[in-house]
Amino acid sequence: MAAELTTTKLNPESHLLLDQPLLRLPQELLRKNFKTAQKHFERENVLMQNELTKLGSSLRNGTTEATAAVKPLDAMIQRLHTLKRKMESLHEEEQVLHEASRRRLSHLNDLYEMNSLADVKYDQWSAVRLDRLLVEYMVRQGYSASAWALAREKGIEELVDLGVFDRCERVRRSLRGGSLDECLAWCAEYKVVMKKTDTSLEFELRLQQYIELCRRDRFVEARDHAKKYFPQYHEGHQEKISVAASLLAFKPDRRQHTWYSQTRWDELAALFIDTHHQLFSLPSQPLLLIALSAGLSALKTPSCHSKHASSTANASSTTTSVCPICSTELNELARKLPYAHHTKSYVENDPVVLVHEKEGRVYGRDRLLEYCKKIGLEEGFVKDPTSLHIWPASELKKVYIS
Amino acid sequence: MDISIKEHERYASKANLSKGINDVQKAIDLLTKTREAVVADPQSASSTVTRAQKPLKDCFASVKEDLLEVYRGNGKYQKTLEAKFKDKPFPTSDNNALATQTPLINRAIAMHLLREGQFDVASQFLTDITSATHHPSPPSTTPTHSPSAEESLSSIDPIHSPTLRHSFEQMYSILSSLRQHRDLLPAIAWSRIRSQELENRGSNLEFELAQLQFIHLFDTQGRDAALAYARAEDHHFAHFQSRYLNELSRLASSLAYQPSLASSPYRALFLAQGTWDDLARSFTREFCSLLGLSAQSPLYIAATAGAIALPTLLKLQTIMKDKRAEWTTAQELPVEIPLPPSYQFHSIFVCPVSKEQTTDENPPMMMPCGHVVAQETLCRMARGSRFKCPYCPSESRPVDAVKLFM
Repeated sequence: MAAELTTTKLNPESHLLLDQPLLRLPQELLRKNFKTAQKHFERENVLMQNELTKLGSSLRNGTTEATAAVKPLDAMIQRLHTLKRKMESLHEEEQVLHEASRRRLSHLNDLYEMNSLADVKYDQWSAVRLDRLLVEYMVRQGYSASAWALAREKGIEELVDLGVFDRCERVRRSLRGGSLDECLAWCAEYKVVMKKTDTSLEFELRLQQYIELCRRDRFVEARDHAKKYFPQYHEGHQEKISVAASLLAFKPDRRQHTWYSQTRWDELAALFIDTHHQLFSLPSQPLLLIALSAGLSALKTPSCHSKHASSTANASSTTTSVCPICSTELNELARKLPYAHHTKSYVENDPVVLVHEKEGRVYGRDRLLEYCKKIGLEEGFVKDPTSLHIWPASELKKVYIS
Repeated sequence: MDISIKEHERYASKANLSKGINDVQKAIDLLTKTREAVVADPQSASSTVTRAQKPLKDCFASVKEDLLEVYRGNGKYQKTLEAKFKDKPFPTSDNNALATQTPLINRAIAMHLLREGQFDVASQFLTDITSATHHPSPPSTTPTHSPSAEESLSSIDPIHSPTLRHSFEQMYSILSSLRQHRDLLPAIAWSRIRSQELENRGSNLEFELAQLQFIHLFDTQGRDAALAYARAEDHHFAHFQSRYLNELSRLASSLAYQPSLASSPYRALFLAQGTWDDLARSFTREFCSLLGLSAQSPLYIAATAGAIALPTLLKLQTIMKDKRAEWTTAQELPVEIPLPPSYQFHSIFVCPVSKEQTTDENPPMMMPCGHVVAQETLCRMARGSRFKCPYCPSESRPVDAVKLFM
């Protein structure tokens, strides 16, 4: 086989591709964590200084008695204690995230210590990667219990973000079940970091609340709701806002609008998932599927779905191994995918052919003879491992494959 | 890696909230003192409070500064990450044919878990996927990507049947006896039942197990035990005779050296360290093969091959996007992806004339001179009559060509 067609070269820099979320996700959580701390602080910052200035001047001009000054001071101290407590718990979270990042970094750095793809250590590393991908796939599909079980069994809880995905799945489910509360709570928590993502999620949630009010004929509340929430979204959502206004005009029994259907909830769930994944720089589909669709094609050959048995990769002899694409697990899955591109033939050394009725099976001479010896075949004969025909050895014919 | 652990530690130790918390505490201390002063001396409350205004402002200013430092640190680290992954967008999702194949993916995962011996996780997984198919989330009107329950179940069915699970449980129990307790008897019992199939495959497993059992007895319990085993196994060693005469006589001769085996010509037979591991591996391999499965998890091989292939495929995606080119042959990948040699399973034939890989529809054809071209090439060259081989001077007729299976 020509050297350039196979490689065991490992380039860690380009190899770390599926692993982006490993570092990015904790970083996004840190950003949110920080922004939350900042929000808490900014509120107190302005308020405290105003309070103290106000107290000072009211003491000066005598509106407040000196003995009454203790009470506002106590209130301020109380508020600062609350701020400190909030910051402390955010700091704890921050430390957990830093530690997680550090461990992940160290796990990824292990790859830089390896010499090649044939390194045993690479196999181990890659097995951990598969476990990570499996856990991520499971939790994204909503198989949370499996995901946790696998992560625990393999001891890789720190390398997967089960908490984030579990939450995401909970919100998605509640939306599809027709409830907005979980999603609104999520938005409130992540509002601090949502500015950078261009999403209409919040508007759509408010719109849905409005639709629900209309559905229940609570038109006055609906109008109030619209007054309160819609103006800030006027830009960019004008069209929908005017449609919303028209909902008020319909009599309940004539509500044919598509907005009242389940589809709206499914769309909301999809929009939430989009927003969520965009926020965390996550791909829209499970990483496992990204890896598999590339891997299945890279491995697939025209022989994998051929109606004829392959001479080189089958279960019939101990000198061959079953091709993963031919194996039951993946065969059907790979059927619709393209097969790998090859520019050169690849055959075993010294190929020979056994011809029977205008059809010939090709084998590497050494492997064929080794097989015949292992099955204890009489000398001077060869047995076709696929058809199990026995021939005089003189029937072996050399074949030239370029 | 351009992000070292040290760099991260530096970042994490600088950019965190601890300093800010300390400065908030300073503000608390300041106000507490102010309060005490007001209580102690109500007369000068006004000036005490006014005097505290500036220090409080300073306290808040330093908290703000502390937070700014965290902000800068985060930002810088974020940039490092972005730079690192800048050229690595994830593939666009619209061309992933697997997204609609959930039942098949689930089946592959369940089989992977079973073959890896993760029986508890596998059970949980089967429970999860079954309940997910039985109760699709509330009234959904989009059946497009969630196939009907029957459909998913029928394609998952093989893994719900307990046979596969039992097979792998048996495999792991045999392996654990072999590895942990050096007990070969379960493996020997299995190989005896499968004797004929193993022999057809040209596998030596049955003999190797018996041989190791003999050696193991010799090693741990002495010659008599080993001989007793060989004799008890007489009919079996007799069955081995035709295929393994040499090996059997080696075993017999080794007995003569008993007290000083270490210096005998047979020491390799007895003291080879890796024997147990090798045997465990070939047992796994034979066991899986008899189930029609590959010895290593296909899911593992495919995911690893995918990780190796992705950088190339992404480069391709970028180039095609730039050139606004469409890759039209959905049947074959447009680029060659080099994988390690151990990831090559089938022979590949690329017609030397047309440069196309052969398929069922266009198989390789061998001319009487032993040279091979694809069938389509052959038809084009021959046009029904005699033609010259493109590689040698010999002439042949299309009817003389032999269809090859690689």
